[in-house]
Amino acid sequence: MGAQQRVYKAKINSTSSLRKIFKAMELIAASRIQKAVARAQSASPYAREITRAVSVVATQSNVEHTLTTEPETIDRAAVVVIGPDRGFAGAYSANVIREAEELVAHLKDEGKDVALYTVGRKAETYYTFRERAIEQSWSGFSESPSGADARRIGEALLAAFEKPAAQGGIDEIYLVSTVYRSAVDRQPEYRRLIPLEVVEEDGAAAEARVSSQPDTVFPLYEFEPSAEEVLDALLPRYIDARIQSALLSAAAAEQAARQQAMKTATDNADDLIKTYTRLANTARQAEITQEISEIVGGVDALAASGASD
Amino acid sequence: MTATVSETPQVQGTTGRISRVIGPVVDIEFPLDAVPTVYNALTTQVELSEGVRTITFEVELHLGNGIVRAVSLQPTDGLVRGQEVQDTGAPISVPVGDVTKGKVFNVTGDVLNDSMLEEPYEITERWSIHREAPSFDKLESKTEMFETGIKVIDLLTPYVQGGKIGLFGGAGVGKTVLIQEMITRVAQDHGGVSVFAGVGERTREGNDLIHEMDESGVLKNTALVFGQMDEPPGTRLRVALTGLTMAEYFRDVQNQDVLLFIDNIFRFTQAGSEVSTLLGRMPSAVGYQPTLADEMGVLQERITSTRGNSITSMQAIYVPADDYTDPAPATTFAHLDATTELSRDIASRGLYPAVDPLASSSRILDPLYVGQDHYDTAVRVKQILQKNKELQDIIAILGVDELSEEDKVVVHRARRIEQFLSQNTYTALQFTGVEGSTVSIKDAIEGFRGICDGDFDHIPEQAFFNVGPIDDVLRNYAELQKES
Repeated sequence: MGAQQRVYKAKINSTSSLRKIFKAMELIAASRIQKAVARAQSASPYAREITRAVSVVATQSNVEHTLTTEPETIDRAAVVVIGPDRGFAGAYSANVIREAEELVAHLKDEGKDVALYTVGRKAETYYTFRERAIEQSWSGFSESPSGADARRIGEALLAAFEKPAAQGGIDEIYLVSTVYRSAVDRQPEYRRLIPLEVVEEDGAAAEARVSSQPDTVFPLYEFEPSAEEVLDALLPRYIDARIQSALLSAAAAEQAARQQAMKTATDNADDLIKTYTRLANTARQAEITQEISEIVGGVDALAASGASD
Repeated sequence: MTATVSETPQVQGTTGRISRVIGPVVDIEFPLDAVPTVYNALTTQVELSEGVRTITFEVELHLGNGIVRAVSLQPTDGLVRGQEVQDTGAPISVPVGDVTKGKVFNVTGDVLNDSMLEEPYEITERWSIHREAPSFDKLESKTEMFETGIKVIDLLTPYVQGGKIGLFGGAGVGKTVLIQEMITRVAQDHGGVSVFAGVGERTREGNDLIHEMDESGVLKNTALVFGQMDEPPGTRLRVALTGLTMAEYFRDVQNQDVLLFIDNIFRFTQAGSEVSTLLGRMPSAVGYQPTLADEMGVLQERITSTRGNSITSMQAIYVPADDYTDPAPATTFAHLDATTELSRDIASRGLYPAVDPLASSSRILDPLYVGQDHYDTAVRVKQILQKNKELQDIIAILGVDELSEEDKVVVHRARRIEQFLSQNTYTALQFTGVEGSTVSIKDAIEGFRGICDGDFDHIPEQAFFNVGPIDDVLRNYAELQKES
């Protein structure tokens, strides 16, 4: 019985120290969320505008450009999975990977080859553990991505995009990342980067724009020197901006997920401590009861045998 | 208590008088020159409204001045001080030999199922229930595995032919069902004799057992002895010995391989503790009798195999309050070759037989006896389950997503193994509606190795539930796919 009490005490101790760590991580994540959200929000107007600019160019010119027109056959699609570097963020990593796996399965059903690119250590280990080929992976900046990081990724993707398919080039680029909407609402989503699709926008932002510019008709543009060259120049900027925006949104989502996961972990640890404390109390009480009954029983037996003799 | 009385008939007919009655313990005064020896049986007649009843006592203590302290084997109502008690001059003896087959006895060897018997019978030989354990040089030295067809038992706690097997478990985790399952599996294929001793368990279960055995035709090769929970402690203390004596006769005189089922050894200990203080012994740890280890030893040492002839025994052992450190189960542990522990946690998840794969063990889970293949697979299964158990704390706090990829695989396979350890059993047909299955040890090893290797990672967990060999899993999987 004494052994049982010790086991529970040890479990309570280890769970309490774990709880402290989780609590600290929760607070750290909470303090970082604001900053991450601010960065994500400040990057979004640029991303929105450049996407708009590209759409405008695409709709107004009838040029055939790889950026805007769908190739007749797509042999190979790139899937960029943006995940976290560290764990302790609940199902954040698992969710984004699940979304990516669904997309990959879908693309394969369409008969396309898939080239995987991963951002963040967790996404990388998921695929390396399963011994699946990764074209390229980046990690170490999932919590505070910079413009340079986005550019590196963009350059690598663009280089692959410009290669012919025969040499391992890609015809399509998908971004899979978690979109931060609010502290409690984050969704893993995939969006096609190139060829250009209908522009994504935040619901609120879209509404605001619609109300300020009712039934926007794009102004007429003239391109100097030519639409192709404008598109060529826009392309890398567009990709960088989109990636940067996705990275920042993912970083904010990661912090929010971490805060929530750590809060749950702290609560769970509390529950466990409570359960173990109760068990320890029961064990202690059982031990006391047993000792008392043994002593009383012994005394009784002695008294009884004394009386009968 | 260690001295067991050999059969030396003594002068019969000395008469004593009852001097004190405390529940099941009775003091009787004899003439100083004719005091009955310890373990002698005494009898007296009591007139009750339903007629005259004979009460049997067994002498346990000599208190001096001709007074002996005895335990009653029947309820002591109706006794009065001064009543005359006869010394039978010998310990309690019970019928042995072929005549015991197909009959149901009580502790003193009276046949209880007279109405079921078609032919008249004659009891030719009786043995005392107190006997010496076989000496060292007569003990069986070879070890062989005893296949039961239950995956979890054969793989993780292989039973020993002629060995002692314990089924431990708290209240309501399936001990009795498992013992009955064993009777169905083993006794029915077993050519030899079986002896069943019902010690302090439910009377209804004993009744069910008799009728089931009658229906399946094994009753004619089985001797049953019952002293159920409605009996006084003296009966429950001795009824296991009655059954054991019958088994010993088959082993020693008829040179047969005998199966001995005892449900439940704990009741034997409990009965001992009920009378211990009344007999004037100082209660020991947790209120048990101070002679606990000795009593258990005297009983267990007799349940053994001698050269060429075996008693394979299966004993259900109740674990009070699921506490395995309780002296009663703890004392029993040391005597057993294989221990199967039933766990409440597993039973509550609906996985039957609820064998705890990590706590259960067997002396022969050793490559020397079961073969390298079997041993390696069992160790791997245990490793995966052990690792899974360690990870449960992390999962409880952080959730399964925080595990590393390697650990996720371990948890994934452990869950399949846990399900696959459950099996459809013959006696559970009425609960599950699924016919039982017998899995050869070869198939069981193959199935578990496949799961450990990850061959069945793609199959959903539910396909592994309540199945026999791995082929059943594949069939379930095919059905599941057809449905979706």
